[in-house]
Amino acid sequence: MYVWEFAALKPYWGLIWQGLLVTVFYTVTTVAAGLVIGLIVGILRTTAPRWIAVPLRLYIEIFRCTPLLVQLVWMYYALPVLIGVDMSPAMACFIALSLYAGSFYAEIFRGGIEAVDVGQWEAGRAIGMRRGKIFRRIVLPQATQVMIPSFINQTIMQLKNTSLVSVVAVGDLLYQGSVITAASYRPLEVYTTIAVLYFVVLFPLTLVADRVELRMGAHR
Amino acid sequence: MSALIASNIHKAFGDHEVLKGVSLDVARGEVVTLIGASGSGKSTFLRCLNLLEMPQQGELAIGTHQFAFGRGVRPAGDAQLALLRRSVGMVFQHFNLFPHMSVLRNITEGPVQVKGMAQAEADALGRDLLAKVGLADKADAFPSRLSGGQKQRVAIARALAMKPEVMLFDEPTSALDPELVGEVLAVIRSLASEGMTMVLVTHEMTFAADVSTRVGFMNDGIMAEIGTPEETIRQPRSERLKSFLSRFHETH
Ligand SMILES: Nc1ncnc2c1ncn2[C@@H]1O[C@H](COP(=O)(O)OP(=O)(O)OP(=O)(O)O)[C@@H](O)[C@H]1O
Ligand SMILES: [Mg+2]
Repeated sequence: MYVWEFAALKPYWGLIWQGLLVTVFYTVTTVAAGLVIGLIVGILRTTAPRWIAVPLRLYIEIFRCTPLLVQLVWMYYALPVLIGVDMSPAMACFIALSLYAGSFYAEIFRGGIEAVDVGQWEAGRAIGMRRGKIFRRIVLPQATQVMIPSFINQTIMQLKNTSLVSVVAVGDLLYQGSVITAASYRPLEVYTTIAVLYFVVLFPLTLVADRVELRMGAHR
Repeated sequence: MSALIASNIHKAFGDHEVLKGVSLDVARGEVVTLIGASGSGKSTFLRCLNLLEMPQQGELAIGTHQFAFGRGVRPAGDAQLALLRRSVGMVFQHFNLFPHMSVLRNITEGPVQVKGMAQAEADALGRDLLAKVGLADKADAFPSRLSGGQKQRVAIARALAMKPEVMLFDEPTSALDPELVGEVLAVIRSLASEGMTMVLVTHEMTFAADVSTRVGFMNDGIMAEIGTPEETIRQPRSERLKSFLSRFHETH
């Protein structure tokens, strides 16, 4: 019978806390950057001419159809060689995670925008509204309602995906876990704690998601 | 005095010529109804009148707004189109209310966002219009809580809120259960009696005969016959119109 010894982690709480902050930091910043990219790319894909829309489609497919781990490693090892700039692991991770999130958010935005009935655009035009205003006031709010569940799912995935940055030695929660394991020889306690921490952060988010979904559905 | 003049309107979708030179001159206060078989181009023509569809040839004059279409004529920009549409209201078959806004906000959206009216003033206007269409108690409801007939009456109020010079209706009662048709027609009838200039597409032949100053029969992309309801509906001249009307009476 294994004897759990969580007390052995006591000296390492500072490191774990640091790791958690890094994980949350990467999630928040790359979700924010990904949303900006996704909104712009998503809108352009629904409205822009082909010569813009096609390259954007290519970007989306490349990032959706290669593993994030490969993207991270590629950004870290290959991109600096190609463009001749040194890139810190932190920067490479930020770029890869943002572009990755952006590609998924772009598809969510596009899907949401296209799900809005063309009759809504026409009704806006018929009362004399201009295109931008119809988009902001009529289409986007409705698209957002459709998008929210997928958006929250993707954001939860994004937080979990940040664990991959540990591969290029960025000190996130998982990376600190491996450091602490090496020092304490307590892998069970360490990785159990880390799993619990991910869960504690994410579970409330799923509850919020359910709430939002319910409320959004209220006046349908 | 003409409220609307459309001359020689042509519209094709790809190779498919839907309007082959349709003209219509509507005097102020007139109610013109368009009838015709499915696919004859009624909706397309109506949508050309507020330029939701862009004609490829012809001219359109509504109030002070003038447009010409064709090769070598610079197409109107978004801003010009928006300006025209302020003075032309449109009511759609499927209502197209904004589902994320309350009934009152649906109505005030145009005045506030397009004309820059103060929200309080627009609210007052909106409540007046709701009273007029018999829905004073629904101001704060969301569209999903309304029956089809109520939705269409809100849609009419939304169009009226822009104080249009002309109202266009595209089969406003076709999506409604039969028992709800009357309440919408009653609103349109009262608008007619107030002298609102209207062009409407409808299959409600009795109503059309009753409320219209003229009835136009569209066939295969042209205005095949147009005249008083008496002339068009009771004394059709062409075989096409006769057979349309007799087929129509069999199925309705
Ligand atoms: N956006 C479009 N793209 C391609 N074809 C179109 C488009 N809009 C209309 N059409 C075609 O134009 C023709 C005329 O359509 P329209 O909707 O004007 O007919 P209608 O007289 O209103 O018929 P209905 O009584 O069925 O409403 C139809 O053959 C239709 O398929
Ligand atoms: Mg039609």
